[in-house]
Amino acid sequence: MQRKLVQISGIIWTLVYAAIIVWLYATEPRSLKEVATNSQVAAGAYEINQERFNNALALFHRDQFRAARDEWAAADPAQKDSRTQFYLAYAWYREGWGRVYYDNASFKQGLEAVNRAISLAPNGMLTVDDPQLQIHTAAELKTELEQGTETSWKDLSPLKLFRQRK
Amino acid sequence: MNTYTERNRALLQFIITPTILLTAALLGGLRIDAQTRQFIFIAPPLVTLVLAILLGSLFIRAGAVDLRQWLSIEQPALTNLSHLLTLLSLFFASAQVFNSVLPESGLLHWMFAFFFLWTLWTNQFSLFDPRRLLKSLIVLFGTAFVLKHLLVSGFYAPAGGWFKWIGAALLQGIAIDVPAFAPLTGYISFFALVLYVVGLLLIGQEPLRPEASSSASLAVKEVALPANQTYE
Repeated sequence: MQRKLVQISGIIWTLVYAAIIVWLYATEPRSLKEVATNSQVAAGAYEINQERFNNALALFHRDQFRAARDEWAAADPAQKDSRTQFYLAYAWYREGWGRVYYDNASFKQGLEAVNRAISLAPNGMLTVDDPQLQIHTAAELKTELEQGTETSWKDLSPLKLFRQRK
Repeated sequence: MNTYTERNRALLQFIITPTILLTAALLGGLRIDAQTRQFIFIAPPLVTLVLAILLGSLFIRAGAVDLRQWLSIEQPALTNLSHLLTLLSLFFASAQVFNSVLPESGLLHWMFAFFFLWTLWTNQFSLFDPRRLLKSLIVLFGTAFVLKHLLVSGFYAPAGGWFKWIGAALLQGIAIDVPAFAPLTGYISFFALVLYVVGLLLIGQEPLRPEASSSASLAVKEVALPANQTYE
């Protein structure tokens, strides 16, 4: 009886341990801290650091985009919060926006962040009710970022000097 | 055999052995980046799976793993399942130990892989007993470990040193792509190898069989032996 108990425990333990190893190789955490964060995500107990999020938002509204992005990255280390990823993408958009030209590298980073936001949002639809923003949905922001990375004849139009940042 | 002996043997076989082998599998693909000190998990490349299959075949041919004792229709399903999981752990530990001592990319990766393949393939046709096989494997993995983690990593160490100087002189004009890992990677690989060897020692023992079927099979063996035949 005792032998059977050990055997069953062994089977369960081996399967669980093997699953943990597969999970580690699949998620590829870069540090022990990331292992802890990923475990929280897997357990459904992951929450962003609200204080850092608010700090980042204040920096964002003061047009300090790089500092804001660092704060958001620290607030959501696992990149699992759709709202944070939306703001991150917005920060890339605003930093990369220029009256004469758009910074392609910033827009590409923004596009990656907004894609993450969309994939994390329920049904892929995300709306952020922030009165200080002019773009409220992830889909709109994505379109804006995509248009910024594309080259067309419109880029040569002198009228673009009068466009407004959203 | 008293209760403690049987319980300890069961613990060793059903819990400790798979744990040791899986830990070797976990550590085998773990590297530490030289600059950022971050973890890098390298899944086993296809060639290591092929090498693990060849090694598994060698275990069976040498008698280190007697499949008829590990998996048998006479045993309860639970015992077979437990043994199957241990054998799978052995397979993945083997693949990851190869992964641990193989250079990650470039010419050296393929050279090491070729030598492993050559050695394991020629060994398939040699006469081995489990003890000799274990010694041979320790030498094989030990040599690969020394070559990769002491010699090759010494050639390309950012801090420099004698090995780097010699390497620069010998391999002048030859581009060998070796990623730079922190020295801790060598320690991790060493522990993976040690755990693997311990796992092999434990696997080499005859697996526990249910009392009833075990005694029954022994009885069958005794009946099957002719009267004048003796054990070696």
